[in-house]
Amino acid sequence: MADKLPLRFRILHYISTVDKTCAAEIMKALKSEYGTEKQFTKGVFIEHLLDMKANFVIDDNDVVLDDKGELAIYYSINDEGKRLLKKYLPKQWQK
Amino acid sequence: MNVSGNQTALMMKRKLDANFDKKGVLIGLFSGGTWGINNVVLGIALTLVPALGDNAALYAIPLAAACMNDILAGLWLLIYNGWAGRFQEIIRSLKTVPGLMVCLAALLGGPVANSGYLLGISMAGPAYALTITALYPVVGSIFSRIFLKQHILPRVWVGMLLSVVGAVVISYVPPEGTTSDNFYLGLMFASLAALGWGAEAVLAVFGMSMIDPKIAINIRELTSGLCIAIFILPFVGGWAVISQVAAVPATFGTFAIAGLAAGVSYLAWYTANSKCGVAKGMALNGTYVMWGVILSVVFMSAELTQNLAIGSILVLIGATLVAINPKEFFKKGEEA
Repeated sequence: MADKLPLRFRILHYISTVDKTCAAEIMKALKSEYGTEKQFTKGVFIEHLLDMKANFVIDDNDVVLDDKGELAIYYSINDEGKRLLKKYLPKQWQK
Repeated sequence: MNVSGNQTALMMKRKLDANFDKKGVLIGLFSGGTWGINNVVLGIALTLVPALGDNAALYAIPLAAACMNDILAGLWLLIYNGWAGRFQEIIRSLKTVPGLMVCLAALLGGPVANSGYLLGISMAGPAYALTITALYPVVGSIFSRIFLKQHILPRVWVGMLLSVVGAVVISYVPPEGTTSDNFYLGLMFASLAALGWGAEAVLAVFGMSMIDPKIAINIRELTSGLCIAIFILPFVGGWAVISQVAAVPATFGTFAIAGLAAGVSYLAWYTANSKCGVAKGMALNGTYVMWGVILSVVFMSAELTQNLAIGSILVLIGATLVAINPKEFFKKGEEA
């Protein structure tokens, strides 16, 4: 089994596998890997997404209010993000 | 990119984005303030180191201080990350290329820049050395423009240059006593520090696209401190200084407090860099020169000279320009 990636790296990788996604969906997808860790909170995921967007590796392209009335921002990976993954994603994670 | 969504959601997002920007700026300023505290406390700690002769004062003490500052900051950060359940993230990060990039950033910003900074102060005197090292935001911004293709607004450039001029004015107090024989070597070391910190920020920000800033800074501090301890201190007699410091609880305690301030400051600096870009992050961090003056005047009864006052005001105006767009600031009520 591949070594676990640092959470931010794994989030970027996950975003690259889907068309678009939001914090809640990413958490659902990564629960089996990181769910038991103290850092597995929505606030942490939202922060990682905002930071990665500020670093120009993902773009936000849709916003909705979820059933609880909370803001859900949808993100997609951009060319720079894809380039980083191609170059730096460990081999065991590359398909 | 156009973002779609209903009006309420879009409004909430705009507010979130504005808060994110504001948070980045405040964290950047906080990093400057805590670095000012670190400088002042480290200065006090250095006065508590037992006399070890002129040679030790020139090389061993400043380098041992840089080493202890980084290792102690790294240990404080390790406690923080361990408490927050992120310890395993450090190991995971070190197994990736971006994590190793942070290590390289650590070498440039630590053994290279930190040693250059302390050696510069020691040889050329703080007045000149601090003036040169204050240029590091300009170096980092130029590097970030070239290597990270980060767009820097003209307003941010102007603000940053004003801050640098302010820092230079603050430092423009000829050192008391005589100029050391190694004055020009000291200026070179100070330039190396500015280049090292500039390169560090750019490399680290690149790594932080994939690594949490809280982890990146922990790796940075421990890598830097350990490398100085293993590869530099043995050649300058630095271990003798550390053993002397460790033997006096009050001195060691003061270094530990300085290390705490350094850890908090670096954590804030990396976080700010990751949120608002290298140029803004570095310019806001650069306000430490002004905070250092304020702290020295308020708590250490240092005299507030005309230069210090004018320089601090310039730094303040510069940092404000970096942080706030005056047009938006005066457009009241339109956005939070």
